[in-house]
This record gives sequence, structure tokens and C-alpha cells, in this order.
Amino acid sequence: MKKVLQITLGIITSVGGFLEIGSVTTAAQAGASFGYQLLWAVLLGTLCLIFLVEMSGRLAAVSKHTIVDATRERFGFPFYAVVMLGMVLVAFMVLVAELGGIGLSLQILTGLGFPWWAIPVSFLVWLLMWKGTFRLIENGASLLGLVTLSFVVAAVKLHPEWGSAAHGLLPTMPGDQKAKYGFVAVSILGASISPYLIYFYSSGAIEDKWDESYIPMNRMIAGFGMTFGGFLSMAVLVAAALALQPKGIDIDKFDQAALLMTTALPKWGFYLFAFSMLVACFGAALEISLAIAYFFAQGFGWNWGEDLEPSKDSRFSFVYTIIIFLAAVPLLFGVDPIKVTMISMALTAATLPLTIVPFLFLMNDPIYLGEHRNGWVSNSVVAIIILISFVLAAISIPLQIIGG
Amino acid sequence: MRLKRLLAVLNQIRAKSLLVVPLLFSTACKPPTPTEQMASVISWLATAGMAGDAWLRHTTPDKYTRQTLELSHDTLLQISDDLLKSLPPGIDTASLDNVLTRSRSRIAQMARLVEAKNSPAFLSQLDSLRADQKIVKQFSDSIESKQ
Repeated sequence: MKKVLQITLGIITSVGGFLEIGSVTTAAQAGASFGYQLLWAVLLGTLCLIFLVEMSGRLAAVSKHTIVDATRERFGFPFYAVVMLGMVLVAFMVLVAELGGIGLSLQILTGLGFPWWAIPVSFLVWLLMWKGTFRLIENGASLLGLVTLSFVVAAVKLHPEWGSAAHGLLPTMPGDQKAKYGFVAVSILGASISPYLIYFYSSGAIEDKWDESYIPMNRMIAGFGMTFGGFLSMAVLVAAALALQPKGIDIDKFDQAALLMTTALPKWGFYLFAFSMLVACFGAALEISLAIAYFFAQGFGWNWGEDLEPSKDSRFSFVYTIIIFLAAVPLLFGVDPIKVTMISMALTAATLPLTIVPFLFLMNDPIYLGEHRNGWVSNSVVAIIILISFVLAAISIPLQIIGG
Repeated sequence: MRLKRLLAVLNQIRAKSLLVVPLLFSTACKPPTPTEQMASVISWLATAGMAGDAWLRHTTPDKYTRQTLELSHDTLLQISDDLLKSLPPGIDTASLDNVLTRSRSRIAQMARLVEAKNSPAFLSQLDSLRADQKIVKQFSDSIESKQ
């Protein structure tokens, strides 16, 4: 009975914590610009995420190592340092975007510009990290995040053509705007396959003291939680395709995305969107801050754990304190969080091989996983998707720059 | 001695990169085409229309509506300046300028009407904006056909 409850809670938190500014912005931009045409990218990203999340949980449960611990131990610190540098840079940009997302949500609700919210929001995130426990951070924000299910209600109420939507699950090339199409596809993949999430998940499994008996539960949470989460991203895309594309609205600014649900849910759509984004970005900001602190603490072999008192893991707490307040600086100067989001998502996709390839080696190492190591199906699926996202990134990022 | 030579090489590289980087940027950041600019114009006109619609149905706060209308106005002003300089031959620049200026002033007026909470006058401006939107769409189609 306890396990059933844990699985249910795990799935609910995966769903509630799935959306963040990256997944919403990229999916909404895809729907507004290309209709259903980029649904395949969400599907591909979700599929890859299911496999990666399941693997990271399995690694932690069997080897009692987080991915960082195992990478450092298996490949040595100099190699890990390179991985960490890439990861921290991208995760920092994502943190800026998430804090900005909270600020933008408050801006549309109150009329007070997002730069004004940078410091109060960062302080609140920091305070929750300082005082809160891992359970509170993981479950609290994610349970509130269930409000993002309103995107599904909005999409259904707009009466999508299911046949056309199903057609969008197969990749097709657009007639024009090929560079933008590639760039948005890459950004969707970057937003879906967030490496920080995979690292966070394995650290969470260690914080929750998982062992081999958790393997079936891990599989259920990864499978069902991420699948339902993927449906949320698809719902955002579908809602944008039906509410914004016919009007010719392309999403450049957050204010435009805020209109996403006003057609389907006239009375509450605007407020549901603002609240969904507020909660989703807040939850993601907490997770990313923790993930960055994990990169450092586990990489350098410091004490770490969100459940420990800050005095017991002072360097771990120091890292997230500094990172959170540094992330507020660009926002104070008015840097557009949506632009940061799009760039960071594309960069995430471009750096995926750096982070995922060593992970695949670990998942095939009998020293860490014994009989639980990867089979050919998991290896092939992840390798193919990483290759696709890297090729797309290598092609479309320069094209997008050239195309202005 | 070796250190000096290394520093000299590094200085050379730095001097070269100082020349190369701006050159790369100037060639890489190609300005958007008139078709793309027209798509942006249509997008921001539609944004103003949709925000206006939502405000009339009392589903969005005044502050958000006013800010979105002001943002649409400012963005349209910025795009229009660049667009009018780069139109392909055969397009009636004066008429396009005229309709864009008129649309912007309608949006600015709508933002003021939100503050005054004057729904009837707002609705009349919104209807006129929709008519302008149709004219802009025709211009967009003709620019696309000429490119």
C-alpha cells in the first residue's frame, strides 16, 4: 500500500513539475508558428526523457551513486570538470529564465515590471531552499503545479482536429521558415531532455534512500509521470495552434503567450495561465538551484543534502545562495527571459552529447549496475535521439543566427 | 625568451580575433526580410486585437491590457521604421506607411481608453483596427508575391 502511494505521488509530482518556462515557451511558439507540425519534437523529447529518467533512478537505486558521483569516479575529475562547466553554464541560464518567468507572471498580474521582482523572487527561492526540506521542494511545488492541467482543458475545449494532430506526430518539413522550424524543434528537444532534471532525479533518489526494491516503482514513475507530462507540453502546443496561429500571432514576448487560454477559458484563462507559469517556474527554479549545488558539492566531494541543516553542508548551501542571487542580476538589467529561454534551450540540446554520452557509458558498466545495466533498446533509443538533437542543433543554431 | 615569443603569438592572435569577431557578426546577423517584418507587423496587430477583445469581455486586468497595447505600439513603431526602408519595388510605400501610422495611433488610443474604462469608444477603435489589419494583410500578400 505504501509503495502504491509512493508511485501515485511520484507520478503526480512528475506531472505537476513537468512544465516550466522552457517547455511552455517552446511549445507555445511551435504551435503559434507551425500549428501541429512540431508535435513530433515533443513526442521525441518525452520519449528520450522517459528512458533517461528511468536510467538515472536505476543507477542511483542500484549503485547508491548519483550521476555526478559515478561520472567523477569512473572518468576522473578533469573530465567531470569539463562536463560540470557545460552543465553549470546552461543550468545557470535556465535558472535566469525561470526566475524571469516568475517575474513575468507577476508582471502580467500586477503591472509591475519583471526587473522589480528579481530580488524578492530570488530571496523567496533562496529562503525556501534554506529552510525547506527535499520533500517540501519536490512535492510542494509539484502538487501546486497540477494547475498546469488547465492547458489540457484549454486544448480540448478548442476542439482540435485529432487527425491533423496525429499527423503532426510524424516529422515533416515546412514550406518556408526552415531555419526557424529547426531552431524551435531543437529548443523543444532541449526543453524536454533537460539534463539538470536527470541529475536532480538521481540526487533525489539518493536523498530518498532508494535501493533495488525501488526499481519497479522508478520505472512506473518515469513511464507514466513523463508520459502525462509530455501530454501537458503537447496540450500547450495544440492550444497555441488553435488560439494563436489562425490570428497570425507569433510568440516573441510573454505578454502574447498570456493570451493562450483566453479563447478557450474566457473567464479564468488569463489567471490560470499566469498562476500556472508562476508555480511551474517557481518549482523549476528550486530544482535548478538544487541541481547546480549538487553539481558542485558532489563533484568536489563536499557534504550535501537538502535535508541537512545549512551549517552541516555550508559549502553546498553557499553555492545555491550565490547562484540564486547571481541569476537575479541579468533580470535587474531587464534582460528578456524569453530570449534567454530560447537560447538556453537550444544550447541544452547542443550540449546534450557532453552530458548524456558519459551517462550511457555508466549505464552499461557492470561495476555500477551489475545485472541491471542497460539493454540494447534503451541504448539505441537514447543514442539516436541524442544524435538527432545534436545534428539539428549543429545545423539550425547557425542558420537561425544567419537568418537573424 | 620563450615566454616573450608566446606572448607575441598570443598578441597576434588577439589582434586578429579583434578584427575577425566584428566581421563575423556583421556578416552573420542578416536583417529580417520584408516578408518576415510584415509577419511581425501582423502578429503585433493581432496581439493588440486579441488583448482588446479579452479586455472587452472583462477577462484580463486593465494593467496587463494597457501594457500589452503599449508594447504592441512600440514594437510596431520599431518594425515599421525598418520595414519602410526595405520594401521591394512596386509597393505603395506611402499607403502602407499611412495604414501603419493609423493602426499605431488606434492602439495608443485604445491604451488610453483602457485607463478611462471607456468600453464603447474602445470597441469602435478595435473595429477600425480590424479593418486596418485586413489592409495590412493585403500588403503582406503582395510583398510576399514580389519576393
